[in-house]
Amino acid sequence: MDKETAAIALVLITVLAVFAAVEPILPANNQPFSELGVLGPSQTIGGYPTSAVTGHPFLLYGYIGDHEGLSSFYQLLVKAGNQTTQVSNSTSAQAPVIFSYSHVLENNQTTTFPMNLTVSSSGTNVRLIFELWSYDTANSSYVYTGLWNQLFLNVTSH
Amino acid sequence: MSRSAGLLCLVLVLIALGLCAGPVTAAAVTPTQVSSATGAIQSAFASTLSAEKSGGNTSSLVAQLNAAIQLVQKAESENATEPAQAAADLQNATAIAQSVMAESPSVGQAGSAARQTTEATSVGAASVIILVAALTYIFGGRAYRMAWLRTHRDYVVRPANG
Repeated sequence: MDKETAAIALVLITVLAVFAAVEPILPANNQPFSELGVLGPSQTIGGYPTSAVTGHPFLLYGYIGDHEGLSSFYQLLVKAGNQTTQVSNSTSAQAPVIFSYSHVLENNQTTTFPMNLTVSSSGTNVRLIFELWSYDTANSSYVYTGLWNQLFLNVTSH
Repeated sequence: MSRSAGLLCLVLVLIALGLCAGPVTAAAVTPTQVSSATGAIQSAFASTLSAEKSGGNTSSLVAQLNAAIQLVQKAESENATEPAQAAADLQNATAIAQSVMAESPSVGQAGSAARQTTEATSVGAASVIILVAALTYIFGGRAYRMAWLRTHRDYVVRPANG
């Protein structure tokens, strides 16, 4: 092995060894994100109800995941809207809240929880809107994460 | 009036007072009380997050926070039927939140110390690796040749045609 090849090999080995040594103090998560899911009564993606009766509870499951790199204090809000209710990744829906659930998750933790929902007014294409909010300690208030989901129901009075 | 008649009158009066008073009911918890307990949990979360940013292991604090949140949700759901239990649950939730707030600074300090140790170890290891690499580059060839000579010092070199 000539001198140049030995020097290059030495540099490569040194760089790899230094990277291994400082790896524990490098930031782990460069793209933080949260997860929101709505599951059917059997805790799967499917079997969602298409109709409901006013005042009669029905079961769905919520799913939240935290990959923000830190613990997060989440709040899931379920709102009863209609087809004209405006909701987007930047704007939360202006509709009455019919259910809320709060939970603190550590980084890379997820949780699945039951939601017993009751709709009080009848109508076709009643739109259940599921929004994920996160507590912002800097402002001491919940902030809309931009994650939302929806489910359309035909709600009858009996 | 005899003594027994007096006792009978006293008992009757007590019974009458009991009937007039009606069932004893506890006051339902107010939205202000719920808001106060929720505020305590939010403050405790902020304290926990600060401890986590310092490098502390906050798993047990997060578990306690979730227990407090569940108590508040339970209190809200049972407020109409069991107001006394709802009030007790809110008090417990507030107490848990205060406990988390009290614990989190020490968790943060422990995490900060552990993080400093890890950082010092990593930087120290990296420095040693670079130093060894530099020494190897500068003195490696000479050291190898000296070692080779030392291990082969007793060898006798003879000419191939001798």
